[in-house]
Amino acid sequence: MVLEEQIPQFTAWIGPALLRYAAAASISLLIAAILAWLVQAIANGPLAAGDRVYRGLLAGLADVSLPSPRRVWALARLAIQESLRRNVLVVLALFALIILFAGWFLDPASVDPGRLYIGFILSATNLLVCLVTLVLSVFSLPADIKSRTIQTVTTKPVRTSEIVLGRMLGFAAVGTCLLALMGLAGWAFVVRSVSHGHTLEAEDVFEATDGDGAPAGAEGRTSRDRGHRHRVILDAGGSGIAETTQGHRHQVSVSGTTATGEKTFAVGPAIGLLEARRPLRGTLRFLDRDGRPATKGISVGSEWAYRQYIEGGSAAAAIWTFEGVSPGDFSEGLPLEMTVRVFRTYKGDIEEGIHGTVQIRNPTSGLRSESLPIVAREFTIDSLLIPRRINTVLANGELQEVDLFDDLASDGRIEVWLQCLEPAQYYGVAQADFYLRAGDGSFALNYAKSCVGIWFCMLLVTALGVMFSTFLSGPVALLATIATLMIGQFREFIARLFESQVTGDATIVPGGGPIESLYRIVTQTSITMELDPTPAVSAMKLVDTILLAPMRIAAGIFPSLSSLGTSDFVAGGFDIPGDLLGAHACETLGYVLAFFVAGVFCLKAREVAS
Amino acid sequence: MIQEAAASSQTMRRSESAEVVVEARNLSKVYRDFWGRSKKTALKPLDLDIRRGEIFGLLGPNGAGKTTTLKLLLGLIFPTSGEALVFGRPATDVSKNERIGYLPEESYLYKFLDAEETLDFYGRLFGMSPEERRRRAAALIEMVGLSRDRKRQLREYSKGMTRRIGVAQALINDPELVILDEPTSGLDPIGTREMKDLIIDLKSRGKTVIMCSHLLADVEDVCDRIAVLHQGELKELGRVEELLRVTGVTQIRATGLSPAATAELKAVLERHGAADIEIGNPRSTLEDLFLEVVRDTEARPGRRARRPAGASDATRTG
Repeated sequence: MVLEEQIPQFTAWIGPALLRYAAAASISLLIAAILAWLVQAIANGPLAAGDRVYRGLLAGLADVSLPSPRRVWALARLAIQESLRRNVLVVLALFALIILFAGWFLDPASVDPGRLYIGFILSATNLLVCLVTLVLSVFSLPADIKSRTIQTVTTKPVRTSEIVLGRMLGFAAVGTCLLALMGLAGWAFVVRSVSHGHTLEAEDVFEATDGDGAPAGAEGRTSRDRGHRHRVILDAGGSGIAETTQGHRHQVSVSGTTATGEKTFAVGPAIGLLEARRPLRGTLRFLDRDGRPATKGISVGSEWAYRQYIEGGSAAAAIWTFEGVSPGDFSEGLPLEMTVRVFRTYKGDIEEGIHGTVQIRNPTSGLRSESLPIVAREFTIDSLLIPRRINTVLANGELQEVDLFDDLASDGRIEVWLQCLEPAQYYGVAQADFYLRAGDGSFALNYAKSCVGIWFCMLLVTALGVMFSTFLSGPVALLATIATLMIGQFREFIARLFESQVTGDATIVPGGGPIESLYRIVTQTSITMELDPTPAVSAMKLVDTILLAPMRIAAGIFPSLSSLGTSDFVAGGFDIPGDLLGAHACETLGYVLAFFVAGVFCLKAREVAS
Repeated sequence: MIQEAAASSQTMRRSESAEVVVEARNLSKVYRDFWGRSKKTALKPLDLDIRRGEIFGLLGPNGAGKTTTLKLLLGLIFPTSGEALVFGRPATDVSKNERIGYLPEESYLYKFLDAEETLDFYGRLFGMSPEERRRRAAALIEMVGLSRDRKRQLREYSKGMTRRIGVAQALINDPELVILDEPTSGLDPIGTREMKDLIIDLKSRGKTVIMCSHLLADVEDVCDRIAVLHQGELKELGRVEELLRVTGVTQIRATGLSPAATAELKAVLERHGAADIEIGNPRSTLEDLFLEVVRDTEARPGRRARRPAGASDATRTG
């Protein structure tokens, strides 16, 4: 799977994150207070405005503190009743329909059906749950205000904070129930769709011989099920494995013999599908073609600079350093798993992979193992078990068997060197592509963790929707929520665009801001072409910068739903790290709290009955 | 004895003046548009005291500022100037609502709830215990006569039924101050009568009632004091009987007078120099007639109503 940024440790992350949060909250509060003062000052003069803002602030803070659980629950219950009477459960029927269509149209013969099914189901769940709570949350309060029902509520001893929190909790509860049901149904669907078995008939098995003609077990192929079959390698006893196809393999064993004396075989369930690998990740550095340290590999022209390439048949290498490698975790040896992309400058035999080697090196002593051959096949995760006893190459070229942990990973650190053997072919790798498989989590738990990620998104959407609905009408609140989420979605792009605009460095994001983009579209000017620095162009760029400034500020504080998503981990077969989940939980809580406070202040400042 | 009575009446007067439940000081409201330009002056500076235990009527034509005044007292809208105090607290303080019951103009309630759920919901907002909510809801539903319809969603209710459940929700917390906005609108004459009886009953239990209406007869029947608003301005304020007393005219009512006695009475009056003497049978109100007919029909189903006593033979039904 693609992991563009390293996942920081929660304990290291939380401190600076809290500081940033406090800073953002203070700045937002200050800006809001200044805006409120300006609006009041126009109507009532500066002194009265100051007094009103101060009193409003105190009243708002008093309102926000310690809402009554009983009344919050009453209002949350009302929101749940409202949702149910609005037939929100219809969405479950829709989800069932989606599952049916998925069952018909998703291709079980695809390269990685697990990823396809999981990705699809989790996306559908995420979309439906967020959409439902979004619609519920943005339309409820404006409808109450429009129908004036709010008047019978606010004339009871109910605080504004209780109205806002009750709504948020009620709709979140509805979303949680929907998510739980959809999550369960989705999980069952994925497991049932992906699980499969094969049969191995005796007539498909052929005796194999080694180079000298001596018998060396048997080879064969399984039946074709779910669009694929496996090549089977059996030992002399008749047991073995069905080799990896579509990202999984099966165990094969002899189940008995027939009356005619032929063996019958049993093919076990799929191994390698629906996994939750727990990787131990390392850091990556490169050597260039002359063996000198380099910060990057070679760019092969791919616009996405995630993977760097090393040249084959040269001294170029990609080197991962793993830390904390101990025999307690890896008693059998080091299970190295790798994804290697290939860039070919000539086609060669397209069916064959590109050959290369992996070496293990002690970073302190420089002792290195012999080269272990690998064949890079695109789009699959290859695994290589590095045994406890391994040969090392001495200075005189002789081989000597050493212990992996005692000699190569003496201080818990170990280096893995990847080199490509074929000249004029390239290997492309990223830091997350090589890892040591430290263990496995439960797939069901991992799926549940991903649903928790969706739950965070749902909470965010609900809180945001309710916040906007405190001062906007339903449809406008809907648009505002979507716009906020869009800005959050593209926050990195907006940040880079603004940087490009301010520094004048068009290589960061070519094409300029909104006005310049429009100008380029109308005049059909390519985004890579510099515009003549006429006064008009300078003015246009200035206007763009002014337009982008508030967007840049918004991009700095708005939430990004996709950054909370963890379905990539589940679909890629990786356990969702607790550190990431913890960070997401805190992020969500922080945003929900901010939206809650903002919602209370907005509703409190509003005359609900005018 | 006399001294004692005087002392107690003095205490009463003091306590009366001390127990001002609602106070408006220079209270005014100007509605503004989005840009802050004033759109309408809904209420010109108003000073008002409403005391415990009285039924206070706000009277005026449509758009006179009655509902605006109520909303200001409830803190639903914010005053442009001045202040409103309820139980001595600012109108925007929500804790005052513990002791207030409010029936808005059109019983704005959640249409997707049924009567029981509605009362349960509002009861929860007062932090009432489940048993108390159940007991109170059952009693109120019984009182407003919705027992048979208590499981129907409010969207299926007629206007009168909505009004009744609206009253029930206003009384869920057994409030000390009941604010009723057009309490009799949408009610049939029986409903109107029951509503008026209810208001008088509330007063007898020591509650303070503020109601606004443009139906003069309703106000006249139940209110102790009234304020007449017109174009946002207070035009008249005082006790109903004082405001309505026609000075210089004397009214005599009696039963069992023969025509001869009537003629003699007229002669006596003329002798004393009375002018514009009018002697005849008083008119009943249409409301009384209607209620009589309905009561009679309910007592003797399937038959046309008997005319009340005193009606002419020509219209008597057999």
